[in-house]
Amino acid sequence: MGDNYRKRGSTLGTTDGRAAVWQARLVILIMINVAQLWILAAAVEAALAAHYDHLWPLIISSGLCWLIALSIYLWWRPRPRPGNRP
Amino acid sequence: MAINPGKLSQAIDQVLSDDRDVRAATASHQSEFPYGREEEAQVTRREFCGFLFLTSSAFFVATGGFAARSVLDSRSAKAYAPMPIEGAEALQPGEAMNFYYPGEHDTAILVRTSDGEYQAFGQKCTHLTCPVFYVKEHERLECPCHEGGFDAKTGSVLYGPPPRPLDRVEIEVRKGEVVAVGRTGGGHG
Repeated sequence: MGDNYRKRGSTLGTTDGRAAVWQARLVILIMINVAQLWILAAAVEAALAAHYDHLWPLIISSGLCWLIALSIYLWWRPRPRPGNRP
Repeated sequence: MAINPGKLSQAIDQVLSDDRDVRAATASHQSEFPYGREEEAQVTRREFCGFLFLTSSAFFVATGGFAARSVLDSRSAKAYAPMPIEGAEALQPGEAMNFYYPGEHDTAILVRTSDGEYQAFGQKCTHLTCPVFYVKEHERLECPCHEGGFDAKTGSVLYGPPPRPLDRVEIEVRKGEVVAVGRTGGGHG
């Protein structure tokens, strides 16, 4: 019984962990999109106001957000299920 | 409590009836562009993640592209051909009229101030490009969108959110004719 309990608990924990990682990825990507939308709006306003010196920091910020999104998309993945490991 | 499968199916049919009506009404289109109902309704987490990443890429490209274009536009040297403003001679002190300069999409406003001088400005507010209009009582140009105000003699900001003065259209009076000869100001005129 103890073995069964441990096995079941371990499987559930893995599934919950994978779901948590997936949800975290989605939430972070959504937050990045919101931030980039705000940056785009600020860039439009700065350009219309001819404040060109404000544009570089905004472009760099948007690029950093994009790099974080890229890293999340490519590398921050949940570990494969134990049964699917090579 | 037992669930009657027949009643359950009927209830589901009723809920989905609108959807089925739409599917029936678009049957001809579906025969040309077939796709499965289930495939259409489901988006996996992986696909949603990919969509969010593409959105992030689009925002980055849009920010960079918009900034680059606005900077390039501001740096490009522009030559303006003189253009007489039709009807300007008939303008009385305290009146204003609209015209286009230098292009047919570049709206501008010509003001004859109470002391008889002509002043001309780009008509787009420097906040978010709403058109400004002349208010004779206050001798100023006002933007109705976000309540910005500009001095009618200098174009400088008096109040409100506009971050810089209006674009200025340079004018000359040649033999009694009012002529626009140039336009200055950063950003999009």
